[in-house]
Amino acid sequence: MLPAEANPPVTIPRLTAPRPTSPWALLASELAVLFGRLRTWALLLALAAIPLLIAAAVKLSSHPVAPGRGPPFLDRITQNGLFVGVTAMVVSVPLFLPLTIGVVAGDTIAGEANLGTLRYLLAAPAGRVRLLLVKYAAAAAFCLAATLTVAAAGALAGVVLFPIGPATLLSGDTIDVGESVVRLLLIAAYVTVSLLGLSAVGLAISTFTDVPVGAMAATIVLSVASQVMDNLPQLDWLHPWLFSHYWLNFADLLRQPISWADFGNNAILQAGYILAGGAVAFGKFTGKDVLS
Amino acid sequence: MKRAWMRWLPAALVPVAFTAAALAGSYQAGAATSLPHKSPADVIAMMGHANVQALSGTLQQTSDLGLPSLPTTGPAATQGPASTLELLTGSHTARVYMDGPSKARFQVMDLLAERDLVRNGNDVWLYNSADNSAAHVTLPARQSAERTLPSAPATPGMTTPEALAQRFLAAVEPSTDVTVGDGTMVAGRTAYPLVIAPKSNGTLVESVTIAVDSATGLPLSVDVRARGQAASAFSLAFTEVNLSAPDVGLFAFTPPPGAAVEQKSLPAVPAQKAMPMVPGASGKALPVHPTITGSGWDAVMAFPAGAMPSQARTAPLLSQLTQAVPGGRALTTSLVTVLMLDDGRVFAGMVPLERLQAVAAAK
Repeated sequence: MLPAEANPPVTIPRLTAPRPTSPWALLASELAVLFGRLRTWALLLALAAIPLLIAAAVKLSSHPVAPGRGPPFLDRITQNGLFVGVTAMVVSVPLFLPLTIGVVAGDTIAGEANLGTLRYLLAAPAGRVRLLLVKYAAAAAFCLAATLTVAAAGALAGVVLFPIGPATLLSGDTIDVGESVVRLLLIAAYVTVSLLGLSAVGLAISTFTDVPVGAMAATIVLSVASQVMDNLPQLDWLHPWLFSHYWLNFADLLRQPISWADFGNNAILQAGYILAGGAVAFGKFTGKDVLS
Repeated sequence: MKRAWMRWLPAALVPVAFTAAALAGSYQAGAATSLPHKSPADVIAMMGHANVQALSGTLQQTSDLGLPSLPTTGPAATQGPASTLELLTGSHTARVYMDGPSKARFQVMDLLAERDLVRNGNDVWLYNSADNSAAHVTLPARQSAERTLPSAPATPGMTTPEALAQRFLAAVEPSTDVTVGDGTMVAGRTAYPLVIAPKSNGTLVESVTIAVDSATGLPLSVDVRARGQAASAFSLAFTEVNLSAPDVGLFAFTPPPGAAVEQKSLPAVPAQKAMPMVPGASGKALPVHPTITGSGWDAVMAFPAGAMPSQARTAPLLSQLTQAVPGGRALTTSLVTVLMLDDGRVFAGMVPLERLQAVAAAK
């Protein structure tokens, strides 16, 4: 098939009808495909293993965790099991979560192109924008699923292995169990928002290649590069513009009172990356020569 | 293929829009606002009249003192003497809550950690989340009335902020220019910048700017600039301020279960301990009398041998921060220089190292 803009609108006969065309039905089918995949569940299972490992290690260790040793909040686990989720989040935010997001976001377009299913999804040039939106929405849904998996697995492991009691916040105040559940969910929401920018970058990269592994690797490398740059004091003018800049600031939700400033800053920054990534993906994908 | 470039239009426009938004934001932040003119004496009097009883706000502090950077993460960074020093380098965000003279809370927000100072009446709590430690200090009862100005008891009922402002200006006039700049915006409030600039060229300090809230007289930011440095050497500013009373629960601190709690007794002379750096102001309280050479901004304080404990001289942190100079070691920052001679004498001042060495040689 020739590039779309070189042709008058052509209706491609739908030889097979693999997926529906109404936007919501398309999204539902996309989600069904994503969460029907063994790979997606393997990724989520790997994420769930992190809090389980942390909880088991702390439980089986014979001597108590000294404050200030190991990952942040590790010593709080023995007081309140829900902190397993928080500790797991601190551990997974720099690498494990971006890794899974990179796999899913990098696969969005390139995976379909690689399998040869992309052309079936593109009934008309206008359909390409819709397809991008649906693909992005599915990747965003995976961000939510991934962070909720870490939080929920952590909370479950904590409830089973440790007592559930009042939790100590960073400010030194204590909150009851109900509020610690709320805080844990807020942290999951914050981390989900934090990963949306990376998903958009992954989607943009995915439109440039037909090799999904390449897009996945490039996305993951970018997330690591962004964090490395965020740690170089020589680049401090760049720091507020890096998508990973606010990733670890979810700890602001563990202060008393909650500091919402970075929640807002992070949301604005991620929205910027969604727009930029979306615009690049739009630029490339609407003109992409879909041959397979 | 005419439409090919159109497809890339959004991708080109998005960065342009971001840059424009960022530039507009920084332009607005630094935009001059028109406020009725005030003289320096008026602005200082306004600060004296300031009667802000309650506030909650966020402070942003940045320092560029030319010190080598210290580790900013990990437990080592926020414990012991490095903790205080760490506050002087780099940048920090802190939240401050105040309700009346005896209730206050100060939170230094570190990455994944926090240091708290809570005062509720005579109870003062320090909490550090990095090592989950707390310290408790009980203030003696008389400390409650500490907000009265130090000079007020001398002339009770007679001293107005206006008179104090005049007296202050007269006192600093020989060495210092005090002016009021164009109105600025700090934390969304209009403010008068009070610019204090030394007349002498011999000091490292170029200017000190205090932005005074035009409505309440509350100082909203302090910005210290050093000679020959584009970035400000030290700046402390409210990024957000709210003058309503914060939640009372914030001041009721009980150490969390599992925290290592230490009861600390107050040192014998607490009030004078804090300010050994100000020449003249608290000189009497120091165990060893410093001699002061020169006056105003380029004054040099000289401490005789023995003023500094010998174990402090060999602390690894100190050797990390100082450089070897002929006859001793020197701590040079963009605002303050300290010269520690091998014979035990210590010279300090807001002047270049050469001046300290000249004073040391003359003695």
